[in-house]
Amino acid sequence: MTPTPVIEVDRLTKKFGRFTAVDDVSFAIHPGEIFGFLGPNGAGKSTTIRAILDLIRPTSGACRVLGLDSRRDAVEIHRRIGFLPSDLALWPSLTGRQTVEYLGGLRGGVDWTRVGELSERLGADLSRKVGEYSSGNRQKLGIVLAFMHSPRAVILDEPITGLDPLVQLEFHTLIREMADAGGTVFLSSHTISEVERVADRVAFIRRGHLIAVEQMAELQDKALRRITLEFGAPVPERAFRGIAGVHEVTVDGPTVAAQYEGSMAPLLAVATAHDVLSVSSASVDLDEIFLEFYRDEVEAAGDDRTTAGGRDGRVA
Amino acid sequence: MLRTVYLKSLRDRWLGAVIAVASLFAIAWMGLWAYADMGDEATDFISQMPEAYLSLLGITSDSGVAGLMLSNMFNFLGPFVIAGLGISMGAAAIAGEEAAGTMNVLGAMPRSRARLLRSKALAAATIVLVAGVAASASYVVAAALAGADVGSMDLAAATVHMLVVCLMFGSLSLALGAWTGNRALASGVGVGLVVLSFLASGLLPLFDGVASWAKASPWYWISGSQPMTTGIDWAPLVVLLAVTAVFVGTAWWGLVRRDLGAGAARAPILERLREDPRLGRIGAMLAGSASTRGIATKALTDLRPFLVVAGGAMLLQALVLGPLFSAMQRSAVNIGEVVDSMPESILAMVGFADFSTAEGWYFGELMTIVAPVAVAVIAINAGAALASEEKRRTVSVLATMPVSRRSLAIRKAAAIAVGSLVAGVALFAGVAGGSAIAGLGMDVAHIAAAGVLLAGLGTLLGSVAFVAGAVTGRVNVAIGASTGVAVLGWGINSFVPVNPDLADWARVSLFYYYAAGNPLEIGLTWWHLAVLVGVSAALVAVGVAAYSRRDLRG
Repeated sequence: MTPTPVIEVDRLTKKFGRFTAVDDVSFAIHPGEIFGFLGPNGAGKSTTIRAILDLIRPTSGACRVLGLDSRRDAVEIHRRIGFLPSDLALWPSLTGRQTVEYLGGLRGGVDWTRVGELSERLGADLSRKVGEYSSGNRQKLGIVLAFMHSPRAVILDEPITGLDPLVQLEFHTLIREMADAGGTVFLSSHTISEVERVADRVAFIRRGHLIAVEQMAELQDKALRRITLEFGAPVPERAFRGIAGVHEVTVDGPTVAAQYEGSMAPLLAVATAHDVLSVSSASVDLDEIFLEFYRDEVEAAGDDRTTAGGRDGRVA
Repeated sequence: MLRTVYLKSLRDRWLGAVIAVASLFAIAWMGLWAYADMGDEATDFISQMPEAYLSLLGITSDSGVAGLMLSNMFNFLGPFVIAGLGISMGAAAIAGEEAAGTMNVLGAMPRSRARLLRSKALAAATIVLVAGVAASASYVVAAALAGADVGSMDLAAATVHMLVVCLMFGSLSLALGAWTGNRALASGVGVGLVVLSFLASGLLPLFDGVASWAKASPWYWISGSQPMTTGIDWAPLVVLLAVTAVFVGTAWWGLVRRDLGAGAARAPILERLREDPRLGRIGAMLAGSASTRGIATKALTDLRPFLVVAGGAMLLQALVLGPLFSAMQRSAVNIGEVVDSMPESILAMVGFADFSTAEGWYFGELMTIVAPVAVAVIAINAGAALASEEKRRTVSVLATMPVSRRSLAIRKAAAIAVGSLVAGVALFAGVAGGSAIAGLGMDVAHIAAAGVLLAGLGTLLGSVAFVAGAVTGRVNVAIGASTGVAVLGWGINSFVPVNPDLADWARVSLFYYYAAGNPLEIGLTWWHLAVLVGVSAALVAVGVAAYSRRDLRG
């Protein structure tokens, strides 16, 4: 039996006029999880997050956080979680320290020891005015603001924007520590490598439709790899059909390219019956995995222009 | 010239200009209609008016009531509005792009800064000229609609005089914005000089010895040479145009020499000023450091620059007006006598207070225009602050704190009432102080009533901005709606009552409940205050409810 979800999105639909930004999306995030929320720009990631936080209201469906209703119990939810908005905007005339005081005051007080630790880890400078910050420094302040009250869950919308690689690494250590201690991290991103590096589970959203939610470990297990074989002479295509675990074989004279999952052995067994000159292999990134496994869902979401012209017209 | 920059600047501003011209037309039409309805009776009164008074207004006695109304439009309301457009565009031309961060893109285009400046300046000049000409044309239409005769007045000459002065003020703000990269400074100094110049040209001629100094004030030349009766006086206009050219040249010189600012970061020249220990301290005192104690206190401290400038200006003027009044009573040119010599009905008709008493003097000089503008600036900014959190997208952070939307909105609304009250206290302190200094012996309770009613007026104007911002989430709607209500309300209350048959209609204006009967004379009318406060409370309640229900922007 699974524990009560920390964040639960239940058949969420959000329309802006005739445009449907999020369409019947459901997922649940559990304690101790880092949940990656992956999708291209404009897929509906921020709309989903803003609905969870009660900044906007669902057209239909509901969101729950820690068992509380996102609309009725918004204040209590805000008290218990931390949030870093995408493209963070703060008050330019306040210093970093004053910003912490202001927002910390609204939370009932500031734990300066915790703020000090966080600032030191990230190298955030709180002494200057926010208007004079670089985007990276503003982002560091945003992370401090999201974590300063040791929340049980954090919602992070594009958190590593503007951060240099060392700070990114420190930030990822920070969220891993939080998850290991039983906290929950909802990480929205369009950066595949980031989600791949830190997430335990990943959801893939496209054009407002949730395509799939997968365990990262399982995904990597069945991750497709790409293999290119060079033969001494042209080989017949049918020789590579029907091999266990092999998808999408293309034969171009003596060159055979294929994608496969799981063991390479059945494919190699067939290949070695011919004169193999060279073998090269590479892993396929997360986006391609999704596109491969969920081609039908992606097409149904209207991503493929040839199959979804009508939908395009309606959405526009 | 860069055609795209020019056209975009026009596109950004045409709606504001159209609204400005439409408001001027509405006021002119309302006034002319109210006067015209009075028929020969009014014309007779005009012909009885002393020559000195008519010359002050720049009209001849045979131009009739229409002349009175039109000189009001040309010499007072019109130039304020048109110069305001010019200052706003001039200040934003370069500095606005820097504040928005768009200068990074614009400045990196393969076009020189000089051409950018030229395109922006031409766009500002185009808006000013077209709006000015359209406003004048609309007065002719208004006169025709109201059946008033304007045939004897040289409106073209009056338009030319007004436009040259407005262009000069616009070019000053252009130069300041181009030099400093600070839009607030450029528009603030521009508006400040317009007000100073207006006061100088109106007050200095009342005194022997300094009367001719008024000619140094640009505003004087809008009507000083009486273009409506004598036609264009080219000599001062050439001087003003030359000054305008010098300002534009200065703008170019400053712009090509300095570093361009990017986004919210301060422009280098201000940074240097701020680093100067003495100047820095003055700047920090004025801007203050925002309070971070809570939403309401932060909202109030965000208002501090407006409170200091608008409230301070009102306080100072109120203090000076007291001694000025007693000085005038002693001087040879006694405006009290001039006013006394007019028939009582004329005074009622032109809506002027009885300048022969201290209460009337303060009412006419301070409470009809300056105090409402001061409190409106403060309260409208406070009212629009809720929507501006959405515009700046800080609402994503603020509204995800453990504070309900309702509570967030109410705390923002509290700053409207407190800010307006501060303005009311400034009025009280200034008038009471001025009266005490000059020994005018005004009734302190009546002065307090004026302060309270001013606070009520501000609260209502701020509440209009609040409800518009709370419903739409748009700052420009909040400011536009409340400014529209303020201008229309002022117009209705000032011009409709001149016709006794229509006087009751003034009650639809919020200004009626602030000014009716002159609170300095009659003290507090409780139900007037109740109307101001009650309507404000209802508007805030609607705003809070709407804000709690809708999707937030940003």
